[in-house]
Amino acid sequence: MKPLIATAVFAILMMFAALTVKEKKSFTHFAAILMLGLVGLNVWELADYNRLLASAQASPDLFGKMLRVDNYALWFNVLMSSCSFFYILLVGRSIEKVGVHVGEYYALHFFILCGVFLLSTYNNLLILFLGIEILSIPQYILSGSDKRNLKSSEASLKYFLMGAFSTGILLMGIVLLYGAMGTFDIHGFNFYATGTLNIMGVVGVLFMLVALGFKVSAAPMHFWTPDVYDGSPTPFTAFMATIVKVSVFFAFMRLFMEGFANLDPYWKVTVLGTITVLTLLIGNITAVYQQSVKRMLAYSSIAQAGFMMFVVIGSNAMAMKGMIIYAVAYTLATVGIFGVLLKLKDYTYDGFNGLAKKHPFLALIASICLMSLAGIPLTAGFFAKWFVIAAALEQPGTFWLVIFALVMAAVSLYYYFKVIMAMYFKTGEPELITPVTTMDKVVMAIIGSAVIVFGIAPDMLLAWI
Amino acid sequence: MCNFLWLASTEGIGSYAPVLIQLLIAGAVVSLLMLLTHILGPKRKTKDKLINFESGIEQIGNARKPMGVKYFIVAILFVLFDVEVIFFYPYAVNFRELGTEGFLAVLMFVALFVCGFVYVIKKGALKWED
Repeated sequence: MKPLIATAVFAILMMFAALTVKEKKSFTHFAAILMLGLVGLNVWELADYNRLLASAQASPDLFGKMLRVDNYALWFNVLMSSCSFFYILLVGRSIEKVGVHVGEYYALHFFILCGVFLLSTYNNLLILFLGIEILSIPQYILSGSDKRNLKSSEASLKYFLMGAFSTGILLMGIVLLYGAMGTFDIHGFNFYATGTLNIMGVVGVLFMLVALGFKVSAAPMHFWTPDVYDGSPTPFTAFMATIVKVSVFFAFMRLFMEGFANLDPYWKVTVLGTITVLTLLIGNITAVYQQSVKRMLAYSSIAQAGFMMFVVIGSNAMAMKGMIIYAVAYTLATVGIFGVLLKLKDYTYDGFNGLAKKHPFLALIASICLMSLAGIPLTAGFFAKWFVIAAALEQPGTFWLVIFALVMAAVSLYYYFKVIMAMYFKTGEPELITPVTTMDKVVMAIIGSAVIVFGIAPDMLLAWI
Repeated sequence: MCNFLWLASTEGIGSYAPVLIQLLIAGAVVSLLMLLTHILGPKRKTKDKLINFESGIEQIGNARKPMGVKYFIVAILFVLFDVEVIFFYPYAVNFRELGTEGFLAVLMFVALFVCGFVYVIKKGALKWED
């Protein structure tokens, strides 16, 4: 796993760059170059794996069966590192403004990506735990990196305490599963080994569900999300809400698809269905009442998590496709809208008033991204929702769940279009904190066109699977 | 049917009875002592008792103000490098069995720690004076 080792090495390189380099701007350039290298390494790994697979030399099991790679996971890694690359290009200027330790912020991003790659390829519950920890601990630091800001400190402390608690629950779940199955290997789980359903294993599954549900902010484990996303420095919120969240969802889906495959599907639909309904309801309804667009996006990320729960419910071939498309569509759109938000001084809805008159390009990109989040046809978000719902419908007994989700998607139109209405139909003088550079325009144009292209031809994202 | 009940019936939950008895005794002793001090002890309520105890010196200002966390950082770093040393014990015991490969693995482990150590020193985390 070249990319996995590379993330750790690159993070250490960033740390040492932080010691020697004084110029803040050069950190962003260095991080962008390293991230591009990471994308290249991921593509190389994927191509290499396919070449060796053709000559029957490749084994999917790595590091003594701790990791297990396949085209699907490697392709996911390629997509996530590419999204991180665009993320750095788009918000790099804002990361430089958060505080003095710019090099370390980027180092922490690379450590998070190390966790992401572990989560996409784990074959062992220990690696799942390790991945979640490597993913979470840098986030606790990043969310508190604006040290003088009371809200940022609050976010960090809240996230750390609650995250540590949920990690405890995750460990408890792993222990119970090990006790019931006698193995950490997720492919070795059999809930009916003794003829009847293994209750200790089921309790373990419930604990895992609670802990992973916490990390992806599914209701009723979502209470940390608004405060943490709102309090954290905005560029880091964009990273936490996108790449981190979809990666944990990827691990979540793999656990239920490969680990808990022989669990009664009816049980899955009932328990996961309840969580999905709650997540969709709470996320969407609460988002309607928000005054700040940043906080609205925090609730919107809860609502989107509700849709991504369908992937876990489905846990089939369609769900795998849906996961990839949803991950990319959601990440691109959210990074795009955060990129626009970072340019503005005022994060309330009023701050967007009249943006279309003064900065039509920003308004256009924001509208495309918001429409993708809402799931309007011809944007990537539409096919993302289409695929995850199709995956869920393959499970019996999910029909009403899907109807409910569609109603909630209609509710989400209200708060997403409120921003678009403010931009196009209201008058105001939106103030920018930083001027829009050519670089910003290029990256935003790439993100905007990618959202539309994937909305027309989503199969492009599935070419490698 | 239920694994926990099954475990309890075969292993015999009775074997845990001494633990339960000890827990009960511990709880009883604590609550009895607290009850006795409340009943037997004299009660003098003064205003001075309610303010923060600062070793007999009158208190100055608010406790919530920023201060140096030098000692905390040193303590955290100590734990980190202490744990590194702990990893050497099992390695030392298995030094011969693990051979060259094991030696290289430990070398890598130490190299990573040296990276961290250099970073810590250069960052000035161990500088005591400002």
